[in-house]
Parts: sequence; C-alpha cells; structure tokens
Amino acid sequence: MKKPDGKIVLLGDMNVGKTSLLQRYMERRFSDTVSTVGGAFYLKQWRSYNISIWDTAGREQFHGLGSMYCRGATAIILTYDVNHPQSLVELEDRFLSLTDTASTDCLFAIVGNKVDLRENGAAESQEKEGCSPGLAGAGCASPKVPKQVQLEDAVALYKKILKYKMLDEKDMPAAEQMCFETSAKSGHNVDLLFETLFDMVVPMILRQRAQGPPQTVDISNYKPPKRTKSGCCA
Amino acid sequence: MMSTKAFTLVSAVERELLMGDKERVNIECVECCGRNLYVGTSDCFICHFLLEEKTLPAGTATFTATKQLHRHLGFKKPVSELRAASALNRLLVLCDNSITLVNMLSLEPVPSGARIKGAMALALNENPVNGDPFCVEVCIISVKRRTIQVFMVYEDRVQIVREVSTPEQPLAVAVDGHFLCLALTTQYIILNYNTGVSQDLFPYCSEEKRPIVKRIGRQEFLLAGPGGLGMFATVAGISQRAPVHWSENVIGAAICFPYVIALDDEFITVHSMLDQQQKQTLPFKEGHILQDFEGRVIVATSKGVYILVPLPLEKQIQDLLASRRVEEALVLAKGARRNIPKEKFQVMYRRILQQAGFIQFAQLQFLEAKELFRSGQLDVRELISLYPFLLPTSSSFTRSHPPLHEYADLNQLTQGDQEKMAKCKRFLMSYLNEVRSTEVANGYKEDIDTALLKLYAEADHDSLLDLLVTENSCLLIDSAAWLEKHKKYFALGLLYHYNNQDAAAVELWVNIVNGAIHDSTRADLYEYVVDFLTYSSNQELVWKYADWVLQKSEEVGVQVFTKRPLDEQQKNSFNPDDVLTCLQKYPKALVKYLEHLVTDRGLQREEYHTHLAVLYLDEVLQHRPGASSKGAEVTETQAKLRHLLQKSDLYRVHFLMERVQRAGLPMESAILHGKLEEHEKALHILVHELKDFSAAEDYCLWRSEGRDPPYRQQLFHTLLAIYLSPGPSAPELAVAAVDLLNHHATEFDATQVLQLLPGTWSVQLLCPFLMGAMRDSIHTRRTTQVALGLAKSENLIYKYDKMKLKGSSIRLSDKKLCQVCQNPFCEPVFVRYPNGGLVHTHCATSRHTNPSSPSPGART
Ligand SMILES: Nc1nc2c(ncn2[C@@H]2O[C@H](COP(=O)(O)OP(=O)(O)OP(=O)(O)O)[C@@H](O)[C@H]2O)c(=O)[nH]1
Ligand SMILES: [Mg+2]
Repeated sequence: MKKPDGKIVLLGDMNVGKTSLLQRYMERRFSDTVSTVGGAFYLKQWRSYNISIWDTAGREQFHGLGSMYCRGATAIILTYDVNHPQSLVELEDRFLSLTDTASTDCLFAIVGNKVDLRENGAAESQEKEGCSPGLAGAGCASPKVPKQVQLEDAVALYKKILKYKMLDEKDMPAAEQMCFETSAKSGHNVDLLFETLFDMVVPMILRQRAQGPPQTVDISNYKPPKRTKSGCCA
Repeated sequence: MMSTKAFTLVSAVERELLMGDKERVNIECVECCGRNLYVGTSDCFICHFLLEEKTLPAGTATFTATKQLHRHLGFKKPVSELRAASALNRLLVLCDNSITLVNMLSLEPVPSGARIKGAMALALNENPVNGDPFCVEVCIISVKRRTIQVFMVYEDRVQIVREVSTPEQPLAVAVDGHFLCLALTTQYIILNYNTGVSQDLFPYCSEEKRPIVKRIGRQEFLLAGPGGLGMFATVAGISQRAPVHWSENVIGAAICFPYVIALDDEFITVHSMLDQQQKQTLPFKEGHILQDFEGRVIVATSKGVYILVPLPLEKQIQDLLASRRVEEALVLAKGARRNIPKEKFQVMYRRILQQAGFIQFAQLQFLEAKELFRSGQLDVRELISLYPFLLPTSSSFTRSHPPLHEYADLNQLTQGDQEKMAKCKRFLMSYLNEVRSTEVANGYKEDIDTALLKLYAEADHDSLLDLLVTENSCLLIDSAAWLEKHKKYFALGLLYHYNNQDAAAVELWVNIVNGAIHDSTRADLYEYVVDFLTYSSNQELVWKYADWVLQKSEEVGVQVFTKRPLDEQQKNSFNPDDVLTCLQKYPKALVKYLEHLVTDRGLQREEYHTHLAVLYLDEVLQHRPGASSKGAEVTETQAKLRHLLQKSDLYRVHFLMERVQRAGLPMESAILHGKLEEHEKALHILVHELKDFSAAEDYCLWRSEGRDPPYRQQLFHTLLAIYLSPGPSAPELAVAAVDLLNHHATEFDATQVLQLLPGTWSVQLLCPFLMGAMRDSIHTRRTTQVALGLAKSENLIYKYDKMKLKGSSIRLSDKKLCQVCQNPFCEPVFVRYPNGGLVHTHCATSRHTNPSSPSPGART
C-alpha cells in the first residue's frame, strides 16, 4: 500500500452528506448512502502526490474515533447541512475539539451541503432571518418552518475556529476562500471544494517533507549544523 | 453481499481425544508452534499433540492430531495462557497468576524454577528490541494495580527490565518494539515504555465489552472499537486502513493475510484488509478462542480445537473471477504480491489480468478490457481466436491451457446478438490497429494484419485500402480468399501488387473496368490503371495492356508512354520506334506521343519532327473544308504547326514545302521560305497574299533573331522595298511603310531610306521615324567622339612613358657588371630593365630559358 503524503478528514453530524460529497467527487455520482459505520477512506492522486481522504461517521456512537482519524491531518472539512442550523452548532460543540490532534498548520474548510434543498424554502427563510443559531435548533423540529443557515454563519464559525486555535487570521486563508456551499446531489461546488483544498495541501506536504519526519533523526548521516553569524556564540 | 470462500473449517482435536470422558473439563487456551499443538485446560493440564496435515484428492486439507504428553501443573486453577518460545525450547505457562517455564517436549518445569510472579496476562514481543536470539521479551499485566512489566526470558532464568505504570488499569496488552498497545478501562492507548510517552487512541467501554488488542504486523495493531468495529491503529496513533465492521459481541480476532478473521458466539467472519469488505461467514457456535500462529488460524470451543484452512490464493482469485468479481480478484491478487515469489507472482498476476480482461470484454466493457489485456501482456491471438475465421489457417496458435475464459467463440459469447457482435468487431478493429505497430505484435504480425484485413473487408471499412497500400504482413492466400469472398476485387488487386503479382492485379482491375466483375470501390479505376502502368517498371505488362488503355481513351491511355517517371526515361527503356509502331492505330495518341518526344524530351531526330509536322498538317487540312464549327480547334492545331515550323530546324523543309504549297497554306509557306532564307518570297506572300503587315514585321524580327545588325537592317529594308514598290495596292502599302518606319526607326539606315522615299511625303508623316533616326545618328556621333577622345589620351600616356625611358643616359664602364652573370660588359651592347638593371644581351635571352636565375624584373 502506498503511504499517503497528506490527509484530509471530513467531519460533521450524521446525515449532513459527508459520504455523498466524497462519492460525488470520487465516483462522479450521487446515489443512496447508508449511514457510515466507523469510517472509510479514499486515496486520491493529485499531481504526483497521494492524498488520503477520510470519511468519518457522524453518529454519536463513533464520536470517540474522531481524534484518531484527525491525528496528523493536513486539512479538515467541517460539514453541515444548510437546512439544519443545529448541524452547524454541532460542529462547534462536538467536532471542533476532535481536531486538536491534527497537524499544527492544519487547514479548515467549512462546508454547507444540500444547497439544492434550500431553494424551495428560500422565501420562508428570509422572513426568519436573524434568528439566533441557538433557537434555530429548536425550530428544526417543525418541518413547516425550515430554518436555514446562511454563508455568513459559516464565515463567523471559521473566524471563531481560528481564534480557538489561536491562529492569526493573516496567516490563514481568508474565510471567504474556505467556506463553501455545496450540493452532493447536483454536484454544485463539489469539485471546487476538493480541488481548492488539494492545491492548498500540496505546498504543506512539501513543507513537511522539507522539515523531515518530526521524530526521526538520521544519526548515520548527521552533520553538525553550520553556525550562522547570528548564532548566540558568534 | 456476495461471499468468497477463503477458508474451510476442519477439526484438529476431537473432544474424546482431549479429555476422554471428563465431562466438565474445558479448553482454556491453545498454542501452536510448527507441528506442536498445546492445549491448556480448566483442570490445570497441559496436553501436547503433534499435528499432521494431509491434502485430500479434492484439494482440501485435513489434520490429524496425535497426543504426545499431558502433564498436570499441580494447581487447582485453570491454565489461562500458553506461549511457545521455540528458540529456547520453552513453553511459557500462565496459571494462577504465575508464569512458569516448561520444556516444550517433556513439559517439565525448568530445574532452576525460574518464573514470573504476579501476572494477569502476557504478550510476547514479536518485534524484539534486544538482538539476542536466545532471549524472549515478555510483557505482563501485573497484579499490581495499573502496572505493566517487561521481562527478558532466557532458557532458565527471567529478568525484569522495566516497570511502567498506566493511567488506568490495563485489561489487555500487545507489544511491538518499545510500543505497548493497551486496552485500559475506558480507552485504548499506545505507550512507549522506553520514553514513557503515551498516545490516546480512542475511548471504549470495558464494562460493555471485552477489549481486543492484536498486533497485526510491524507497528500496527487491530483493536475492537465501538459499534463492533475492528479498528486499525499504528504506533503513531493513526489509522492507515479503514475499519472493518464486525458484530457487537466479537470476542476474538486473528489475521491471515489479507484477511481479518473475527469470532463471535455464532459465527466466524472473514473481512479483507484490502477493501474492508466482509468476504465469508462460517457458522461456529460457542467458540471462545480465535488465534493465529505464524499464519495458522485456530479456533476452539471449550471442548474441541479446529483449524481454519485458507484456500490457496489462486483458487480464491479464480473463484472471484468465475463470479465476475474482477475488481476484488485484482485487489486480492495485488495484495498477494508480497507473499509470493516475484517470478511466480508475475506469471500468476498476468494470467489474472488476462482473465479479467476477457470478463470485461464479455460484458462489452472494452476500455477496461483493453487496459487489462495491455497490462496482462495478452497474446493478441487469444483475442483474435474468439472471432471465427479471423486467424489465418496457417496460424500455429492454440489457446492457452487452462483456458482464459469459457467462450468457444464470439457467437456463443454474444448469443447471436448481431449488434453486440458488431460492437465486438469494432473493438477488435481498433485494438488490432493500435497494437499492430507495437511490440505486442512481435512475432504475430501476419496473424494480426490478416485478421485486421478480414475485419475491414467484412465491415466495408475505408482503412482496408490504407492497410494494403502501406507496409503490412497480410498473408496472401488467406487474405485473397477472404477478399474474393467479400467481392473486394480492387483491394485484392492491391494485395497482389503488394505481393509482387502486378499482372494478377492489373488483370483484376481491367476486369472490373470491363464490367466482368463488380466492385465500385473506385469510380476512376481506368485512370488508376493507367497511372499504375505509367509507374510500373514491368514493360511487358505495359505492352500487354497498351492496346486496352488506348482503346478506352487515346488521350489518357497514351500517358503510359508519355508520363513515365523521369529516371526511367533516362534509361530509355521504351524504344520510341516501338511505341510509334504501336500507336499507328491511334492517331490522337500518336500526336501526343510525338509531341512528348519533340517538346518534352527534345529528341533531335528529323523523322519525329517531320512526322509531327505532317500529322499537324493533315489535321489542319482535314478540318479545313467547312470548318466553321470547329474553328477554334483548327487554329489550335495550326498554331501548333506554325510553332513547330518556326522553332524546329530538323524537319525536311522541301518535303513539307511541297505539301504546304499544294494545300495552299500561305502563312506556312512563308515560314518555310523563311527557313530557306528566301525572305523576299516569304515577305511577298505575307504582304501581297495575306496583307498581314504585322505578320511581316514579326517575320523580320523572327528571322533576324540571333543575327548581326546588318542582316537585320537588310531584312527590314527588303520589307520596306516591297512596300514602296509600285503596284495596284500602293496607297495601302504606303501606310504600312510609314508605320514600319515609325515603329522600327532604329532598324533602318536613314540616309538610304530618305533616298527611297517619294518626295511627296510630309515630314509630319515621318516625324517619329525622323526623330528616331536623328537621335540615333547624333548618339552615334557623340559616342564616336568620346571613343576618339579616349583613344587619343591613351596614346598620350604611352608617349609619355616612352619619353621617360629614353630620357637619361647610361655609362658603361669596367665596373658595371652584368646582373645575371656578374661579368663586365665587353661590347657596347646591353639590355636594360625598367628598374635600371643592366645585363648582357645573351644573358637576357638565357634568363628566359633559365628560370632559376635571379629575376631582375620584367623586361621592357
Ligand atoms: N438533496 C440532497 N440530499 C443529500 C445531499 N447530500 C446528501 N444527501 C442525502 O442525505 C442523506 C445522508 O447523506 P450521507 O452522505 O450518508 O450523510 P453522512 O454525512 O455521510 O452521514 P453519516 O455517515 O451518518 O455521518 C442521504 O440520504 C443522501 O442522499 C445533497 O446535497 N442534497
Ligand atoms: Mg457517511
């Protein structure tokens, strides 16, 4: 088995469409999925690099596996369902902490899926705009008044994540670049999502390679580092 | 889910053999090492069996176990674990929280009594950090709370090397190098006992289920996760394989590459590590032990021991292929790469790829099939042989055995579906076309090209002709029969031609043109044949069909003689006289051929030129009476005739003159007179008979071409004289004379002309002539003056030189020596060189004959 050069992990509540997104991208189709058990992964060759993409299970039962899947990840895709505000809330409450094991320079993308369903309820949603995400969760119980998530909410979450990770906004890609609205069903923005990430992941792989595997020191080839002039003993 | 048969379950130790009639005794643990099988029981016995494997004719293996020894350990406790350390010839026995070392054969405890106390569970390090081959690394869960201990175990002693405490009570352990993989009370972790660094893997609930920690290979473990998942984790704490999905109540797991085997209370399940799919389920009740020992998988209930015998990988793959599960078969085959010697693997894998290719092919998945054929390096003839009649009868090919597929031929494969059949044929066409120029075709070029030809012919495909006119290896006999059958006669001709049978080719084509056989491939087949003969180096063939092509069309047919390639013409392979004889019957062709000889090839033979002129003349005469309708054509021939008469100097003038005069062709007569230098006669005809003054002028120009000016002047004066001579048409001629003078002023001697002209003509009338004449005369005078001046000055220069040379005197004395012989001058005679050097006269002459003497300079 070829060892992947980088890892991308899809996280998000059950039923938001993680498996469907991956299937749309990798197999160019949309078909019925069953709720994922445990996790699954694909290998994607991008230029000369092998990138593994992990599809995780959103079900509460498998929540504990998340940290392990995220360990050393180069990028994480946090997925929610634009028609279920609660799924966005869950990202922050439940999934964000799983990403602590990811690589320190890990990228984050926030993806609102199932936009194809939004059009139907667009009119209603406009009236209800501005309702707080906390209340929106309760609103979902009533099918007659669908609450929907706007892109601004995702942007806000993205900025929150950077704060949580204590990352400088200036060092990270802009929120507008990293928040996507997709439909696995129509294929809308799906290629854009994955390929934008792949292109960002490649330089990270190169950087990691240049630094070398973190815990291995090749003593047989060891050469004392050259002192630079700015060294303290100079 | 479709299942695979990866394992068969066979019994190894029957209940009776193990415990006879002791109803309540249970199997607690097993160990297998080579042929040795050990069983630990609930009543503190260890039993040793020897396993013997037999393969039944049907291919399945059976085992018989023969009991060797059994020994009671002397406790009231069950034997909870057994581990063999074959390098030490020791068996590690865990019983009553204590690990004893016993001899593998005698089952006697080591005399030293070495043991490890306080152990709840143990694990052997299969990737030891210590290099000593006579030492085994053992890891135990201590009875001390939250403690793991690491021991070195030697033949008759044990040594603790490390004790580490864990954050929670450990329940299961596996070890690889320095890494411990532990199931704690609420989670799995990886712990490096050397550095103490630990890494959380994932949480689980030990109250709900029994943990499983199983080393599956270098630095990788298999763990029982939530929801019945078999999770893979490396020592770095990451998962490199997707989990397998077991049932919730799984109690044991084992590995037998590429399968993960799991046991629950009702089933043994088999998953592939390659695609995570469940491949097989075997019902197995009350199992409680599942372990693998160096590739041998053993399951046990509390009463009996069984072995899961893996089916040979190739058999599994063949089964998958038989059920058209190409993808899985390939994954399995690829996965086996590491476990099979390289050479053997390549042969096997190639065959599998080919088989897979045929499966895809049968499903009309041509793209996939092609890729598989390519990567499997399929002998293309395997594919061709599926199509009836495509392989040449002479082909020595026989299909590989065992067969790569189950189909007799395409008819069977498509079940007679014509559309499918056509698709398959199109595929083969494109496939063969693609491979015919690659190394795949090496050695089978004839088979491939012949098959391709047959396919093209049958499908009426344009590429048939391309195939035949470029380099190919089509077999003649087979291909010819096929083309004939499909009435591809034109193509058949090409095939003959390619095989150097031009005569057969042309005969076929001629038959098509004549309508004896039918093939509409080329509407211009006649022209094609003419062209073919033109470029054919086979003279005999050209002669054979010369009459045929000429009868069809004289103008086109004659090309076989006139358009022959230049290099051949130079060799002069066709004798013109032979050709002329042949062309006697074809006047048009004859003219064309003579034109070719005279004009294109410039042959300087009187007969050709005269013959051609006569033929032109005949045609002119033939069309003359009442020729108004064909006027244009006649003048064309006439123009050709005149052109020939003017340009050629080779024809017999007198012979023609007679005929021309008889025929009354004044213009032609004039030309012939011109040829004989009878200018007055010629001009007379032109001026008086034809009254064609511009022709008369042209005549003068034509005849004076390349002659000196006086000749030319003479000619023009002759014409002028004719114009000016008295006669009935004098006024008309006077105008012509004026025009002539004005147009060609420089061709005349003005003084002569002025004397000839009648005094009545006005200066006005002759203004252009006179101006021209004046200008000419003045110009001549001036140039002459200039020439005179130049000559004079040249003369002066010479005079000056002469004066200079004569200017000074020379004294001759005894001291002056000849420059050549260095002797004094005895007589007052000498030669002086322009540089002043003096020499004897005889020395000056001899100097010219003697090149080696010093050169005093050029003599004046
Ligand atoms: N209309 C619509 N339906 C979608 C879309 N994406 C997914 N679905 C449907 O949503 C359901 C859940 O999709 P999955 O892809 O299985 O969701 P998941 O996130 O993988 O769920 P878990 O595996 O349980 O974590 C399925 O019925 C999909 O058909 C989408 O873009 N539009
Ligand atoms: Mg899923």
